[in-house]
Amino acid sequence: MLTAEGEPTMKRFIVAGLMLVATAVPAAAQGPIKIGFFAPLTGFAAADGASAKHSAEIAVEEINGAGGIKGRKIELVVYDDRHDSKEAVAVASKLIEKDQVVGVVSGSYSMPSRVTAPIFAKAGLPVTVAYAVHPDVTKAGPCVFRNGFLGQVEGAAGAESAVKLQKARRIAVLTVDNDFGRVASAAFIERAKKLGAEIHSEQVYKLGEKEFGPYLTKIKDEPIDLIYHTSYYNEGSQIARKARELGIKAALEGTEGIDSPKFLELAGPAAEGVTFTTNLNRDDPRPEVQNFLKRYQAKAGTGADMVGASAYDAVRILARGLETGGTDPKAICAALTGLKDYHGITGKITRFVKGEVTKPVQIQIVKDGKVRSFAVIDNPEVITPPVQ
Amino acid sequence: MYLLTVATLVAIYAILTLGLNTVTGLAGQISLGHAAFFGVGAYTTAILTVRHGWSFWPALLAAVAASAAVGALVGAAAIRVRDDFLAITTMGVNFVLVSVFLYFPFFGGALGIGGIPGPRLLGQEVAKPGFLALTIGGVVLALAVNLWLGRSWAGLALQALREDEDAARAAAVDVRKFKILAFTIGTGLAGLAGAFYASFLTFISAGDFGFPFSITVLCMLVFGGIGTNRGAVAGAIVLGAAPELFRFLADYRMLTYGALLVLLVRFQPAGLLGDDSAIWRRLRGARAA
Amino acid sequence: MIVQQLVNGLTVGSLYALMALGLTMVYGVLRVLHVAHAAVFTLGAYGGLWTFTLTGSFWLALLGAMAVAVAAGLAMERWVYWPLLAKPTVATLIASIGVFVGLEEVYRLVAGPEPHAFRVTLRINDVRIAGVLVTAPQVLVIAVTVALLAALWLFLTRTSLGLALRAVSQDREIAAACAMNVRRIVSLNFALGSALAGAAGMLVGVYYNSVSPTMGDVTAYKGLAIIVLGGLGSVPGTVVGALLIGILETAFIGFVEFPFPRDAWAFLAMIVVFLLRPQGLLGR
Repeated sequence: MLTAEGEPTMKRFIVAGLMLVATAVPAAAQGPIKIGFFAPLTGFAAADGASAKHSAEIAVEEINGAGGIKGRKIELVVYDDRHDSKEAVAVASKLIEKDQVVGVVSGSYSMPSRVTAPIFAKAGLPVTVAYAVHPDVTKAGPCVFRNGFLGQVEGAAGAESAVKLQKARRIAVLTVDNDFGRVASAAFIERAKKLGAEIHSEQVYKLGEKEFGPYLTKIKDEPIDLIYHTSYYNEGSQIARKARELGIKAALEGTEGIDSPKFLELAGPAAEGVTFTTNLNRDDPRPEVQNFLKRYQAKAGTGADMVGASAYDAVRILARGLETGGTDPKAICAALTGLKDYHGITGKITRFVKGEVTKPVQIQIVKDGKVRSFAVIDNPEVITPPVQ
Repeated sequence: MYLLTVATLVAIYAILTLGLNTVTGLAGQISLGHAAFFGVGAYTTAILTVRHGWSFWPALLAAVAASAAVGALVGAAAIRVRDDFLAITTMGVNFVLVSVFLYFPFFGGALGIGGIPGPRLLGQEVAKPGFLALTIGGVVLALAVNLWLGRSWAGLALQALREDEDAARAAAVDVRKFKILAFTIGTGLAGLAGAFYASFLTFISAGDFGFPFSITVLCMLVFGGIGTNRGAVAGAIVLGAAPELFRFLADYRMLTYGALLVLLVRFQPAGLLGDDSAIWRRLRGARAA
Repeated sequence: MIVQQLVNGLTVGSLYALMALGLTMVYGVLRVLHVAHAAVFTLGAYGGLWTFTLTGSFWLALLGAMAVAVAAGLAMERWVYWPLLAKPTVATLIASIGVFVGLEEVYRLVAGPEPHAFRVTLRINDVRIAGVLVTAPQVLVIAVTVALLAALWLFLTRTSLGLALRAVSQDREIAAACAMNVRRIVSLNFALGSALAGAAGMLVGVYYNSVSPTMGDVTAYKGLAIIVLGGLGSVPGTVVGALLIGILETAFIGFVEFPFPRDAWAFLAMIVVFLLRPQGLLGR
């Protein structure tokens, strides 16, 4: 703004003024960059919602602490979707219209993500999905990017672990009756059969079931090597407890649904030896992973879980889009579509194909009361998402 | 657009509360399963439009017919029972229907049904303001139906039922016919709301139509003033919009509902605008004066 | 296998019975559907957990659970139900739902939405009879239930207070005319029913190692179906109904392979009984 003599001229002053005005449009140009975030903060899924929220906040704190996006801070606009469709729709409208966010992170389950994705797509906003598994979420539009696994991928990876690594030949399946459970179990069964294992039975139970006596009594005296259960930590812990109570010796393998310190707490000693597919490896030596685990423990008072780690990554992925693309939603979308080799704490994303990632699946195991690494499944045949 | 969204949802709630008023308010039959009929309408619309390519309008009519039909069945079964028995039965119907929606793949099972198209008028998809107008039209229709019912001979009979079922029976009022009529109309209206809901959200699943939602609708009706149409609409507006206006109360919402119900029943059973409520009496007094 | 599943069914049925008895007893004297009973059940679980954390004794915790439940039940009777007796039934039903919803939220706000573990080291062993396994937790549940039911039965049939209770349950007005202190009998009913629910809550908490604010939800609805099935107001009817539902649910999972959602069976059974015999299995 100063001339060579060190004095501002009128002309330069006007130019500066015009530049200022130009950058003032759109309205919040120099203020923080607003991104939307929704999760089930109340209701039955409140624990996962809290985990997602804490982790998203950690991500934002880190980004802002390091200077923000090109000097501008990120502001997370958080809403509770109560795991209810109508609520989610209202939240989506709010984020688009009232808060005028430039991008959205879904820290929620499949149902709210599914119902809001088309709304965000219509408004041209990019969405990163932390862990919701339903295939339709990414089909809503070209700007929906899922960080987590598709149910199909997870089920297939579970089969690799069960049959190839744990050498199970006869497997009993317990499926939770919701979209996640059905899809994952179906994929598990298909892959396990392909690998030569025999599926003894598949039993479907309701979400929230506590009484597994009848289900497990059926297989108690059968020569089962492994029980695969798609479940969340409530049901999963009941399955583990009842199986041990009945004296069932089969191995137990679960999914990311039980990736939570709550599983360990509720299952108690029955959790020992249980394996599960997930995207968070607690033994990952990378500093960003260990730092996140420490920060989460400090902030929330409990160990981190898959939901939290995924939410953290989803926020950071969107932030990467902001860094490389700017604050125009279309540009962010383009940036994310062209994203290559992104190293998240939940694994390396080579690139997004139709919004889905190809990412190795972690198999974790409970050993001496702690969650440790068991194996990694990175067979491309298994982990490539089935999208055309 | 955000206001349009909230307004549309409130209008859908109003159709629901008006329908519940027909059954519970006008006919005195305690229904704790209203959400199930809401679901029947929504699923009918979803299945017909998504799987069979029907357009919205005929699907809407089918939705109303389907829920009215199921309602008539329940009404017929309700013949033998009264009061608390009926309450539990309707609750049971709610549970059974939701289980059916959840279990059978015909209803999309655990995955629900998505991609439900919106209504089209003259070849164009109806935009958000148009849809709101549509749902408000539904509210007006529901009001008209209830008013007509209240003033007709059927309405008088229903009133007799409400006051004293035994006396009505003794006076040779065909209790059966009127119970079934009330159920049919009330649940038909719930089906109408369901059709709008399915189109609006474009995705439905069994969990949307469970017992907790039946309670929410009942709460709205009781809060507004059970037995009155203005109460039904008022309850839907206030309790439907309140969560949006008072987001900071979000964590205490259900607690507030619970406390509200207890306090209302205890101290102001006429609700906000019921015949005997403090507010209504004041409004009427002001008018008369 | 059949007997094994029968054991499962009886265990679950026992828990249902303890919970549903309070419902039927309250209906018997007040003709009120005490939906909030489920909140008493849950409070028993939290009360038992809290007492156990303080004392480390299972039996003290059980007493604590029952005491807390009784207090809650009596409070509800005094401040919610008794004042509303003159109003139509829909009023008490709505009020009860309001209390239920509100209390669950209070539990959530105070204790958090996540389940708490309730780990009790049992000093009993599994029992094996003729090849049938009854696990230690199952032994505990069945034993406590039998004990409590026996105590209740003795009370209702062998004591004058118990007879008075049954009289009031038959006909409140005539009982009052016979100069019985109806109010006190009603309170006693609430106390007994709540005590049983509190015990049930804690047993469920221990059996599943999980205490959460919404643990009473399904049992609430199912309990209502069970008491209608058994015959509103009938104590033996409720016990029979509860055991029956426990066995029915287990049978359909264990044998029929028709995975219709488990909770719907209670309602289906209720609706069927309704249509064929509206007064319930053992109702008057």
